[in-house]
Amino acid sequence: MFEWSDEHRMIREAVQRFVDEEVRPHVDELEHGDLPPYDILRKMFATFGMDAMARDRFAKQIAREQAALDATARCEEPPARTESGDDGGGLSLIPIIELCRVCPGMVTAMGVSMGLTSAAIMSKGTIRQKQRWALDLLTMDKVGAWAITEPGSGSDAFGSMRSTARRDGDEYVLNGSKTFITNGPYADTIVFICKLDEGNPPEQRKVLSFVLDRGMPGLVQSKPLRKMGMHSSPTGELFLDDVRVGLDRLIGETEDLPSGGRDGAKATFQQERAGVAAMALGIIEECLQLSVQYARDRVQFGRPIGEFQLIQEKLARMEVARMNVQNLVFRTMEMGAAGRSMTLAEASAMKLYSARAATEVAMEAVQLYGGNGYMSEFRVEQLARDAKVLQIYAGTDEIQITHIAKDLLRT
Amino acid sequence: MNVIVCVKQIPDPATPGALDPGTKTLKRDGKLILDESDSYGVEMALQLVDAAGGGEVSIVSMAPNGEVSGMRTALAMGAAKGVLVSDPALQGSDALTTAKVLAAAVGKLGGADLVIAATESSDGYTGTVPEQMAEVLGLPSVTFAKKVVVDGGSLKVDRQTEDGYDEVTCPLPALISVTAGVVEPRYPSFKGIMAAKSKPIDTVTAGDLGVSPTGWAGAGQEIVDVAQAEARAAGEIIEDDGEGYTKIVAFLENLKVI
Repeated sequence: MFEWSDEHRMIREAVQRFVDEEVRPHVDELEHGDLPPYDILRKMFATFGMDAMARDRFAKQIAREQAALDATARCEEPPARTESGDDGGGLSLIPIIELCRVCPGMVTAMGVSMGLTSAAIMSKGTIRQKQRWALDLLTMDKVGAWAITEPGSGSDAFGSMRSTARRDGDEYVLNGSKTFITNGPYADTIVFICKLDEGNPPEQRKVLSFVLDRGMPGLVQSKPLRKMGMHSSPTGELFLDDVRVGLDRLIGETEDLPSGGRDGAKATFQQERAGVAAMALGIIEECLQLSVQYARDRVQFGRPIGEFQLIQEKLARMEVARMNVQNLVFRTMEMGAAGRSMTLAEASAMKLYSARAATEVAMEAVQLYGGNGYMSEFRVEQLARDAKVLQIYAGTDEIQITHIAKDLLRT
Repeated sequence: MNVIVCVKQIPDPATPGALDPGTKTLKRDGKLILDESDSYGVEMALQLVDAAGGGEVSIVSMAPNGEVSGMRTALAMGAAKGVLVSDPALQGSDALTTAKVLAAAVGKLGGADLVIAATESSDGYTGTVPEQMAEVLGLPSVTFAKKVVVDGGSLKVDRQTEDGYDEVTCPLPALISVTAGVVEPRYPSFKGIMAAKSKPIDTVTAGDLGVSPTGWAGAGQEIVDVAQAEARAAGEIIEDDGEGYTKIVAFLENLKVI
């Protein structure tokens, strides 16, 4: 794949029109006001039938899983999976790219809800749990949050994790605090990751994930935190004080998932990292387009600044970054269409490169704009602030590097 | 209820257009898109078929080089099938020949309860093709429709006029031209876009339809000159001495805006 198909182009144009009509007029309220992004996202889902498609996919997956369970119960081979016939994820990546050109925070809010949170339930949950919580997240009817980071545990998510679950009769009692939780202030459904405290040393404890609902006794969701960028993505803290839950809220309904709770979280990391490349592409495309236009229009020393070689160098580097990141997105789509998934190291390499490229391009766009670029009135200012977090969330650059190196040095 | 919509595929207005110096007409050798004026007709047709509870929307178009990109947009919105007339011999066709070709394309689809066109295209602006088509097809025609309701075997139309609108009733089948903004064209759904590729478009020549192309030589119209549009004159600046509004009111009254 070296270019978008005709269908992809039509989808891009349609989403661009939606973004122009429904998002751009509200950017100020989304970025600097109190407008949460969810209603516009829901409108996008309804407009393009993304909700109906999610329902169809969900129904098929549940039917397939039920058939496999039934076959296993009868000691038969589970039915073979038929070709999905999908396009490798283009239908979900294109809205990410187009929204990121204007409002990357909206993608963060959307991705964490219908991507991360639902994936945590869909990958390890029981059919009953998927029906109870995941479908509403996949359609954006409900807002989800995936809570792993804590004040004392970021990159060392599991090692320093202090949130706990303690058994109490048929129930668990959950305690702990989480921070930097995307959608935390507004989430209806929260996947809370913690360690089972059996009185054993913390490093030996099992990692468990529970699904919580907004309003449960003992659960407090903070107001949005103030931050550098991604203002349209509400980020908050969660505080759990003796929240009592039954086994029905433990993902998988067992403490002993076949591949363990850590693997479940790692699979989620992998998906998250692939999505960041599409986000980076949107930011890079927008910054490049704005920069080319500015280089043509801005006149200094009697000439458009695009005629100066130092400006040309910036534009050329941005174009190289655009081509590289687009190729990574195309690769993701091709692998998806072929039914293959990346290794964690591959996803990390893609995320590392894309995040750095987006930040560099956005900062260079600010530089190219000069004083104007530092002003909020010009769009590159917001995009530069937004881009930076791509190097921090979903695993910092430094963590990506360790994953890549570990894989390279494995014997 | 079956509806056929005439859709024109035009060069993207967002990109700089160019005139062919020989023919003084717009160059159409690049990718073409659905004329926005026709998106209203497609939307209205889809709504009328929905309201009728059955039937389908088909589209007809005449374009060079077998171009179907604009037609795919209409198919993605929900139209079921289309006929494209693409024939080098049709280059230079005048409005009447275009009307004959499109009327024949409508005939190839077996006719319809209603044929819809835009009042005029966004690149040619002759604004005569719909009425000429109606004449060729022998159908009653209502122009400048801004509201359309099907009532049994007849059509109730609010027809835009300079002063307001006329309420017109006409029997079906009929041909109407709709004004821009008459309805809000839907976004094509992702599913609709993916499905559009496999919807049938029958590509035919003028000869297949039994129409004799007349080309540049036989066209009843000719573009004799193309001139640069006049630059906009500088506006008048009025210093507001507290009574400035009276001058604005007088200005608007003079324009008959108020």
